[in-house]
Amino acid sequence: MPPAAAAAQLAMLPARRERRTLVGYLFMPVFLALVCLSLYLYVKSQDLDSIEVRALNAESLTSTTWRHIQLTVVSTFFVIIIAVPLGVLLTRPFTRRYRGILLTIANIGQAVPTIGVLSLLAVAFLFLGFASAVVGLVAYAVLPVLRNTMVGLQQVDESILEAGRGMGISKFGVLRRIELPLAVPIILAGVRTALIINVGTATLAAYINAGGLGQIIVAGLSTNRLTVQLTGAVLTAVLALLIDYLAGIAEDVLRPKGL
Amino acid sequence: MKSRSARARAIGAAGVILALLLTGCGGDSNDEADPGGGGGGELSGATLTVGAKEFTESKVLAQITAEVLRNAGADVDESSLSGSATVREALEKSEIDMYWEYTGTGWVNILGNTTTDVPDDLYEQVAAADEANEIAWLEPAPMNDTYRIAVAGDFAEENSLATMSDAAEYIKANSDDGVVCAASEFINRDDGLPGLEKAYGFEFSEVVELDLGLVYTQVGSKCSFGEVFSTDGRIVANELTVLEDDKAFFVDYNAALTMRQETLDEYPSLAELMAPISEALTDEEITSLNAKVDVDGEKEADVAKQWLEDNDLLG
Repeated sequence: MPPAAAAAQLAMLPARRERRTLVGYLFMPVFLALVCLSLYLYVKSQDLDSIEVRALNAESLTSTTWRHIQLTVVSTFFVIIIAVPLGVLLTRPFTRRYRGILLTIANIGQAVPTIGVLSLLAVAFLFLGFASAVVGLVAYAVLPVLRNTMVGLQQVDESILEAGRGMGISKFGVLRRIELPLAVPIILAGVRTALIINVGTATLAAYINAGGLGQIIVAGLSTNRLTVQLTGAVLTAVLALLIDYLAGIAEDVLRPKGL
Repeated sequence: MKSRSARARAIGAAGVILALLLTGCGGDSNDEADPGGGGGGELSGATLTVGAKEFTESKVLAQITAEVLRNAGADVDESSLSGSATVREALEKSEIDMYWEYTGTGWVNILGNTTTDVPDDLYEQVAAADEANEIAWLEPAPMNDTYRIAVAGDFAEENSLATMSDAAEYIKANSDDGVVCAASEFINRDDGLPGLEKAYGFEFSEVVELDLGLVYTQVGSKCSFGEVFSTDGRIVANELTVLEDDKAFFVDYNAALTMRQETLDEYPSLAELMAPISEALTDEEITSLNAKVDVDGEKEADVAKQWLEDNDLLG
């Protein structure tokens, strides 16, 4: 099976769904707010010792959460500007011979555990902190966006492209005005996957001084404080669901009319 | 702390330790052809089991002990156990006869005290309290495997840093050069970073949070100061200088051989036999033994035997 065909099978296709109702839109934020409220009440009800107070004060929770969002957004931004143009290039006929090798590289990026990449950067290149974490996250999350971009472009019906060319539109025009708009839903599904991967994986950044909610989780683990672990884990989960929810809305908004 | 520090360390040196587990723990040092050795034979006829925790230092100490016992005529059954809780349990249940425990672990993990009420005569208190559990603590070694702050060797020399007080002065005078690399546990524990800063009346200018395994290699590059375990072999490997805790802030983790009281009653010569060994185990000595295993990849058993021979400790 050629790599492109394999990619087509693995690609995450967007769920076809109708535009949501107002209640549908409100359900997730209300649910997440309730989760946060229960977490807050639970932590409030506990008798916190000095270690827990140090990890669970408002300032450290806000700063780690904000850092986590930055890690996720910045790394996903780089994933998009690397993977989407690359996906476009790799679906052009003249790059056919490089397709296999570049997909293999992207596959390796996802196959190597992020903690391995981060440790390697830290030990071999003494490269730590935010930038280092972004490199690790990007390497891990490029594949789904790249794959979905390629699949999205390849699934456009050949006859539509020919019709476009027949009407005198240039090759670039066909790409811009026909192929890409038709591929947008699938590309967005890939971006959404990358975002979720990055929210989860960014917890590892705590090991290389890049902060994020992983810092809370690791603090809880290393000092054996369940309340701290739970807070870090729940906040990460809430953030993941929130970002997934926002990405879902973005999909609804950005999907070309009529698709 | 000991059990957790051990876990962190096990992660840091995972490759090395795993390799050793795979190749080195088959009781390969059991020199069956020579059960008597050249010692006095005070223990001939005895069969003793020596246990260890899951990290290098504990295994080296167990191997040293096994070698000494064997040399005194005992039959030694070595078992490598994992985890602080299980090795102590194994001792209480007579699955093993002895292992090296740390005074700090005894105080906090075994006797259930906190790190804020540590007495000055920690060993005496722990040994006395553990009598109730019928566990005997032999005289502790000078080696103290606890938290310390380390700096790069040349950095220490340039700025003549030898103690934590020197470091506190230096950081107060050079507020832009007070970055410390540390792992999460140290950053969050009361007997770690927060307490240390309070005790010496200074504050690090920045805390770089890393996995413990990464700290050793970063001292001298990302940060001038780093949290280390005072007898870790990587101190030697990375040419670090350990700063003396001159205000005795950190909890002591002196190693002492522990055994059931009945074992000591049955073989009272054990105390006498182990005393010179224990006395010779200084921070420097054990650090270099740890380095031979973790850094040079030698086997614990070989390192132990070599050390005993070099120091003329096999009677």
